[in-house]
Amino acid sequence: MDIIWQWFTAPLQFQFMVQALFVSVLVGVICAVLSCYLTLKGWALMGDAVSHAVLPGVVLAYGLQIPLALGAFVFGLGSVLLIGLIKARTRVKEDAAIGLVFTGFFALGLVLISKLPSNIDLMHILFGNLLGISPENLIQTIVIAIITSVALFIFRKDLLLFCFDPIHAKSIGLNTTFLYYLLLIILALTIVAAQQTVGIILVIAMLITPGSTAYLLTDDFDRMTILAVISTVFSSVLGTYLSYHLDASPAGCIVVLQTLLFIVVMIFAPKYGLIAKR
Amino acid sequence: MQNPTIELENVTVSYDRTIALHGANLQVNQGSIAGIVGMNGSGKSTLFKAIMGLEKLRSGRVLIQGKSINKIHQRNLLAYIPQTEAVDWDFPISVYDVVMMGRYGYMNCLRMPREIDRQIVTQSLEKTQLIGLEHRQIGELSGGQKKRTFLARTLAQQGEIILLDEPFAGVDVKTEKAIIELLIKLRDLGKTILISTHDLSNIATFCDQVILVNKTILAYGKTADVFTPENISRTFGGSVPQGLF
Repeated sequence: MDIIWQWFTAPLQFQFMVQALFVSVLVGVICAVLSCYLTLKGWALMGDAVSHAVLPGVVLAYGLQIPLALGAFVFGLGSVLLIGLIKARTRVKEDAAIGLVFTGFFALGLVLISKLPSNIDLMHILFGNLLGISPENLIQTIVIAIITSVALFIFRKDLLLFCFDPIHAKSIGLNTTFLYYLLLIILALTIVAAQQTVGIILVIAMLITPGSTAYLLTDDFDRMTILAVISTVFSSVLGTYLSYHLDASPAGCIVVLQTLLFIVVMIFAPKYGLIAKR
Repeated sequence: MQNPTIELENVTVSYDRTIALHGANLQVNQGSIAGIVGMNGSGKSTLFKAIMGLEKLRSGRVLIQGKSINKIHQRNLLAYIPQTEAVDWDFPISVYDVVMMGRYGYMNCLRMPREIDRQIVTQSLEKTQLIGLEHRQIGELSGGQKKRTFLARTLAQQGEIILLDEPFAGVDVKTEKAIIELLIKLRDLGKTILISTHDLSNIATFCDQVILVNKTILAYGKTADVFTPENISRTFGGSVPQGLF
């Protein structure tokens, strides 16, 4: 009993661990809520694309000393617009357009990192830096968390209708173009926040896995959101502790736990699990 | 002479270089049931989308109650029932919530249901015989119940014009009858109803108007005048389904 207590309390004597736990839960919760919309809208690939495409924006923002969120946002949105343009104006299909654009943007980011005179650590952008978050980045993450939570709360029903039946949404006077870009903006902002904890490669797991896990457990959207949040808080907290005790990558630990949780649910879920469906 | 509630003037819609609908002219009067008849790929869905303002028009214009379509959406005039295949039936949403979505256009920006919204939703569920099923997830319904769920949403929306895309596909005869009865009641209340279908067998029994589509609107008007073997043959490229006349 005492050992377990020690296991949880010992790391808390370090300020950086307390902060890491706080940030990983904060970012995890926004990602979890958003992931419910993304999985239902079928935007998993879109999330993947945007998360990679923000790299040049993040690098440029470092170089120009402007907020990372701004740079990431411009390039995240730019990639989506370019994907839409290629899909609409050429005969190239959407999945090819997505793959083409995000790898192109990502490669541009790599070139910029190697050419811009700065001390950006590529590994931190790619895989997060949960244990070494600077005060500015902490504030930025909190601001983003507030903005996205408020937006998701105000528009949660409109976004749900937009995911379910965009034609009906339009016919009753909702501005579906606005909702499309709103979801995209929230996505870009969330990726910037999550870049701190898990990095832009693994953020896609944070944006797909909790929603998918919860989707297998319930037929009710509100419950799905709550379950996604619970699963994320669980894996974020436990993952951060594990990384401390095992001296392993925090991002890796968090995402591995999330994936394990998904596999357990996939097998044992009461209604949609593999066993129940046999 | 009644004013037409739906009016199309020389409407052309194209996708890339393929023309889906060419020079379509149409007038549908208020308080009628109009059947849109055509083969698969004849442009029925395009016509629907054009009327709903979802397609960019290459030429021409669509007027709803004499006004351009872009001004119409704010007013909850158009209610749409999608094809069964177009709906994600695994979506984590209940019958009640789908019907409540018909009320969103009347609510504040947080979409918080008022007492009146709940009453109208319950009434809509009653009229479509869905009471007792309202907490089911939509995927757990039979084919007819699925159709009635979206019909109930239309009732809750209280739209003046109701568009149904292939409503009789995959439903049993009993449900089909129930849907038709409800549509006739709605028409008698002054609603205008458009139904796209490729099932011709009972068009003549409940449609006041028929609209024949094959890449353009070949003919439209009173069922008795338009629904003739010659016209149907033109619509279906030379062949008339057996036993129709």
